[in-house]
Amino acid sequence: MTSKERTREIIKGLYDAVVAFDEGKVVELSHTVLNESVDPYVAVVDGLASGMSEVGDRFNKMVYFVPELLLCSDALYAGLNILKPAILASGGKAAVKGSIVLGVVEGDIHDIGKNLVKVMFEAAGWTVHDLGRDVKLQRFVEEQAKTGSEVVGLSALTTSSMLAMQQAVHMIKSSNPKTRVLVGGAPINIDVAKKFGADGYAPSAGTAVAEAARLVKH
Amino acid sequence: MNRISALLDGKRVDRVPVFQFALGFCARNVGYPIAAIYQDPEKSLQAQLWSKEMYGWDNAPFYGYASYGSWEFGGPIEFPSSELQQAPTIPYFPVQSEEDIKGLKLPAVKRAGMLPFAMEFSQLQKRLDLPITVVVGGVFTLAGNICGVDRLCRWMLKKPELAHQIIRLSTDHILDVVQYWGETFGAERVIPYILEPLAANQIISPGQFEKFVLPYEKEAHEKMLSMGIKHILCHICGEQNLNIPFWEQIPMGNPGIVTFGKEVNLATAIRHFGDKCIIAGNVEPRILQEGTPQEVYEAMKQCVIEGKDSPRGFIAMLGCELPPMAPPYNVHTMMKAVNDFGRYS
Repeated sequence: MTSKERTREIIKGLYDAVVAFDEGKVVELSHTVLNESVDPYVAVVDGLASGMSEVGDRFNKMVYFVPELLLCSDALYAGLNILKPAILASGGKAAVKGSIVLGVVEGDIHDIGKNLVKVMFEAAGWTVHDLGRDVKLQRFVEEQAKTGSEVVGLSALTTSSMLAMQQAVHMIKSSNPKTRVLVGGAPINIDVAKKFGADGYAPSAGTAVAEAARLVKH
Repeated sequence: MNRISALLDGKRVDRVPVFQFALGFCARNVGYPIAAIYQDPEKSLQAQLWSKEMYGWDNAPFYGYASYGSWEFGGPIEFPSSELQQAPTIPYFPVQSEEDIKGLKLPAVKRAGMLPFAMEFSQLQKRLDLPITVVVGGVFTLAGNICGVDRLCRWMLKKPELAHQIIRLSTDHILDVVQYWGETFGAERVIPYILEPLAANQIISPGQFEKFVLPYEKEAHEKMLSMGIKHILCHICGEQNLNIPFWEQIPMGNPGIVTFGKEVNLATAIRHFGDKCIIAGNVEPRILQEGTPQEVYEAMKQCVIEGKDSPRGFIAMLGCELPPMAPPYNVHTMMKAVNDFGRYS
């Protein structure tokens, strides 16, 4: 049995390695978690995910920018790839915070923002159903119905493609009025989100999870 | 009176000129598909000239788009096929790996990608005695269009030599294109348009800008000016406030034209660039599409009042492209505000 102190040291190491976008260190420490029988679920939540939450804060404060965020997400996924199978094999289940269908609306292929949002949701323990980019609007409706997701997240970068959002919100709400729709992207602001009938708006990848959690509570 | 030419010549104008960065809008305005603006130089020129005449804009028609680079370096490009698609897009990038960079060569400027269209367009500009423009880069945006901005971002931190390599190629390509245009039309007639949205602080840090953008952009501009180019139009789109100290070090010509998005307020722009450049900007394009005519009028009124006394001149403009789906009355209202508040005594 690993001592509490050693466990704390390993988890702190995972946290620090994600924040420092040190993928090699994350891999090494994730194997240490398994070799020294540290609870992999705790390692994911308190180490990797908690580190990614700090990364999100740094991004919001313009301490980190997209290059750092991308490398931190690479480090996060490297650790998750090692630890998630161990969680499942031990019969453990990650506590799922929520489920979201995510995609860039039809007419738009700019997906870097959506991909960053996806990382933040996965790090926060949400199940993400990523439909990708240039997504036909009916696909959002179908995927929400299939997965029973509480939230649908829509992204757009151009003023032309953002027009698809209004229609998408209408279609999603008509199919299931209880679904919460979250929108984001460069041309969107809170007023446009309201005008389009969306329930929430996230100005950045770092704020999307908190906004979705707020929507689910209400 | 050609107001923008007058400002470039250091002359006074009767009112603030309007530069409408309008492409897809012009196509829709005259009943062409949006793709015609990018695929058919003659229709593109017609659509822009007719729309300019209809609304009273001051800028000459131009050809180009922000996703420039993929096609020219051997990758694909997709032209808009629906009204939800605003401009050409890159379905995948010609450089996907380190190996791909090794095989990357500078494009032949007479044949590559959209350059034959752009040259045909500039020949039409020449025939009508319009200013000759060519849209290329900036260095970082062009590099991002060759390898994908996410890959470029990762390389900047993990393999900076690869990032430098691809930005080097972008810089050399920009210079090749401008040289070709200069040799064809006379450098003093050519105005290069540099679009650099990917270098914004929504993507990279000021430190990364200093390392990966500043030296190349500076070199490109210095060499363009040494070729005999007189004026460079530089579209500094997006959140660029933290990059301003670096942009200030980059020569734009005498005067250059520097155009800003909504993120950089006009007082800041004038303070840093007003003594050497014409300032252009910066009403948020979304307002033209989603706002009421009253909101458009108010936004443009504020913009004109804030910018009109900039020392080397001011051009009223949106922060980026006029949305193709903007209601025509809003576009008219934008002009109305400039006419009401942009007059010089």
